[in-house]
Amino acid sequence: MSHKTTRDQLFADFMSGRKDRRSFIRDAITLGASVTALGAFLEACGGGPEPAAAPPPTDAPPAPAPDPDDLGPIGTELNIYNWSDYIAEDTVALFEKETGIKVRYDTYESNEEMMAKLQVGAGGYDMVVPTGYIVTVLGAQGLLAPLKKKYLTNWGNVAPLFLDPAFDPGNEYAVPWQWGTTGIAYRSDKVNPPPDSWGIFLDPKWRRRMTQMDDVRDVIGSWLRYRGHSLNATDPALLDAAKADAIASKALLKAYISAPVKGQLVAGDVLVAQLWNGDTAQAAVEEPSIKYVVPKEGGSIWTDSLVIPKTAPNKRAAHEFMNFILRPDIAAGISNFTGYGTPNAAAMDKLESPVPYPDEEERKRLEYQKDLGAATDAWDQLWTDIKSA
Amino acid sequence: MSRSLRQRALDYFHHNPTVRAWSLVAPGGLWLLVFFLVPVFMMFTYSFMPRGMYGGVESGFTLEHYLRFFDSLYLTILMRTTVDATVCTVACLLLGYPVAYAITRAGRFKGLLLFLVILPFWTSFLVRTFAMIFLLRDTGLINTALQSIGLIDEPIVMLYTPFAVMLGLVYGYLPFMILPIYASLEKLDLSLLEAAEVLGARPAARFFRVTLPLSLPGVVAGALLVFIPSLGSFLTSDLLGGAKEILIGNLVQNQFTAARNWPFGSAASFVLMALVLVSVLIYLRVRERSGDAAGAP
Amino acid sequence: MHSLKLPAWLIVLVGAVYVFLHAPLLVLVLFSFNDSKFSVSWEGFTLRWYERLLERDDILEGLQASLVVGVTSTVFATVFGTLLALALARYKFKGRLMLEGLLYVPIVTPEIVVGISLLILFVLVGFPLGLPTVIIAHVAFNISFVVVVVLARLQGMDRTLEEAAMILGADELTTFWRVTVPQLWPGIVAGAMLAFTMSFDDYVITSFVSGTGSQTLPVVVYTMVRKNVEPSINAISTLIIVATTILIFIAERVARDKPLTPAKD
Repeated sequence: MSHKTTRDQLFADFMSGRKDRRSFIRDAITLGASVTALGAFLEACGGGPEPAAAPPPTDAPPAPAPDPDDLGPIGTELNIYNWSDYIAEDTVALFEKETGIKVRYDTYESNEEMMAKLQVGAGGYDMVVPTGYIVTVLGAQGLLAPLKKKYLTNWGNVAPLFLDPAFDPGNEYAVPWQWGTTGIAYRSDKVNPPPDSWGIFLDPKWRRRMTQMDDVRDVIGSWLRYRGHSLNATDPALLDAAKADAIASKALLKAYISAPVKGQLVAGDVLVAQLWNGDTAQAAVEEPSIKYVVPKEGGSIWTDSLVIPKTAPNKRAAHEFMNFILRPDIAAGISNFTGYGTPNAAAMDKLESPVPYPDEEERKRLEYQKDLGAATDAWDQLWTDIKSA
Repeated sequence: MSRSLRQRALDYFHHNPTVRAWSLVAPGGLWLLVFFLVPVFMMFTYSFMPRGMYGGVESGFTLEHYLRFFDSLYLTILMRTTVDATVCTVACLLLGYPVAYAITRAGRFKGLLLFLVILPFWTSFLVRTFAMIFLLRDTGLINTALQSIGLIDEPIVMLYTPFAVMLGLVYGYLPFMILPIYASLEKLDLSLLEAAEVLGARPAARFFRVTLPLSLPGVVAGALLVFIPSLGSFLTSDLLGGAKEILIGNLVQNQFTAARNWPFGSAASFVLMALVLVSVLIYLRVRERSGDAAGAP
Repeated sequence: MHSLKLPAWLIVLVGAVYVFLHAPLLVLVLFSFNDSKFSVSWEGFTLRWYERLLERDDILEGLQASLVVGVTSTVFATVFGTLLALALARYKFKGRLMLEGLLYVPIVTPEIVVGISLLILFVLVGFPLGLPTVIIAHVAFNISFVVVVVLARLQGMDRTLEEAAMILGADELTTFWRVTVPQLWPGIVAGAMLAFTMSFDDYVITSFVSGTGSQTLPVVVYTMVRKNVEPSINAISTLIIVATTILIFIAERVARDKPLTPAKD
């Protein structure tokens, strides 16, 4: 609190010319110019694009709303920031037609790109779509607005599997959007017997015909599971063992490559690949012998979620959109387009090729990635070690 | 009226070369100061601050990020990056110089040939790289063609090798070499070459004694424009090298993304930038001393 | 043009370099007509990826943004860069070496550092993200490239023409426009081409400083490939190649009587 006041004062001084630039910069830096702090500067001066502390736009009454859960009128515009090709082509048009709200739709390529914009308080987005534990990261920084469940009348359609996830206890911030698992895609016509273990990536028989994903969480995660540990482990001894496995397998791998491996699976350059289930299904459309398995040691399950940034100008419309996609027909349309699983239980019988929910036995093998917190650096060092080996 | 004003302004500039020089520098210089040096300086201060748990930095002062960089792991990466960038620069020079030379001799096709050097780069980098992957992979066009004419039985492994990375780097930076060499060759006085020819100099001698020395500024500019950015490249080694090696560019990229360690990423960038800046300044000093100072008044 | 002929081996080598540069383009054009989503092998001729372009507003809007950003930032960067190069080549002033050294900083700064630091700057001063911020960023990283290219031409450039013009009574501005600029022209064109190319192909920096409604074509393309390069990207690339080639041919025709460099009359 006092921190914030200092910031306010500092910025006011600067704006009114009482501080010269050099001392402003010095003070700003000593104050701890973390990105979020810089965002707070902005709030302080009120000149930022989306001052969170400022009252909502003109259509809200000046007096505080009697119900803290009430978000006021619905507004006329909604800014969505999502992964590309991650929605059915008619979803937005249908929403606009039903509600009269104008949707502006931008896309991003990585969680970090989206995070950087939220962290500095820019963008003006009403809704973004982080992957799994990124929700935790954003929430911990106070960048997200909690959901107002009273606007989500279709919430009951969400399958129990996606309620109360580890990365967002009690679904405080996140509405599940699409889900999938990470396992092994393989050419069943060439790889016999079919793989059932991460150990396949240590089998010299498939030398230079195998790939793992280009992501430290997935690679180290697979080797941790291989040795029977959690894929969120931070114990240095466990990590060292995983590193040894990873380095041994690197010599046999063709490459670390994620989604673009699909073309090479279809062409037969690659016979075994660590991959997501949805991407495997897309490749299998072109080459039916491509099959998918979650190894017996287990793999990861992930959910991408809709969340509302704290600075969102139109939270009410964002809720409206969330409720809209929780409708079975809309949710089914989206999954039919993306090929990924829907967390919407009521939509399951409307899907062209439904991705079944994992059964009890499978669920035991699937684990959500969690934010590694302070261990992030250690994992990164591991990745550098592996790639330099 | 306006004539006299113009005259007076010109007189003023004429008598004040320093004012004149700085008025040329001002627009671009200010732009770079405000939109480049100031933000980059902010990142520089970040490199001395503790990392924020979720990206960004915390307040405080520390040298740990610089100390961490001087570890054999990271120094090896730095060394490997430098070697790669050097090889790439030499290859670009060997391929690019003849092209630039041929363009200046191409008469009315000059403009077209110059344009053809640039054209491939008006499609997205990613699209071009995917097209290259398509050419290089085991079941790609090159291997299929060679197999169908019976030259080879087993596909040649080209994709995801250091060769593919180098091919991609050279591809990506070749125009940076060709354009400045072209720009400096283009001003070459042909009468000098004719004189050399008349005096009986053989083609090789004409080239090494006349053409090459006169185009040296272009060669140096091209070498800098290839060497420096290739030090920071990261996507090529990921996409064509199968992400099995790590270069400085990848390291920096990782720190700002997955590792969420901005200050370490900044520190690594600034070590790299300092090295380059120092070597550029040394080069400029040497050029100045050797009197090749471009005839400044 | 001139009698100094090129040796055959040189022509072969240069031809090979052009093949190397254009082979990927050929693949790209070919597979924009391929009837397969994963571009694996030839599955038959189709125009559906071109039809699909009509539905993809994001690609067309991206192209438009790219052109606006590319042209505007190239003009600014070329003017600023040329002036800077003139100052560096023609004048001795305090801090000249330092300035020239500093000009290499933008070339060596990793793009992600530029992107994030500019984003922080814009937010700090409350400048809303959009086309202007993208243009500002592109000018900033392009100036140095223009300087280096133009400077290479300026160094050792023959100044006798300029001096002759002055002696004959032309004032400095006239000399600059009628003598210096035409002599410098190939360098300026080369610098501008490089600047436009860099701007047209930049992804990392743009992705950080673009806001709602200012996503350029590379940003659109990059966000699409998380899943797969849809062949409609090949289609738009093919169209760009065809369009620019036609433009250049027209320009060549028009310029045939008048050489590309401004006349020295």
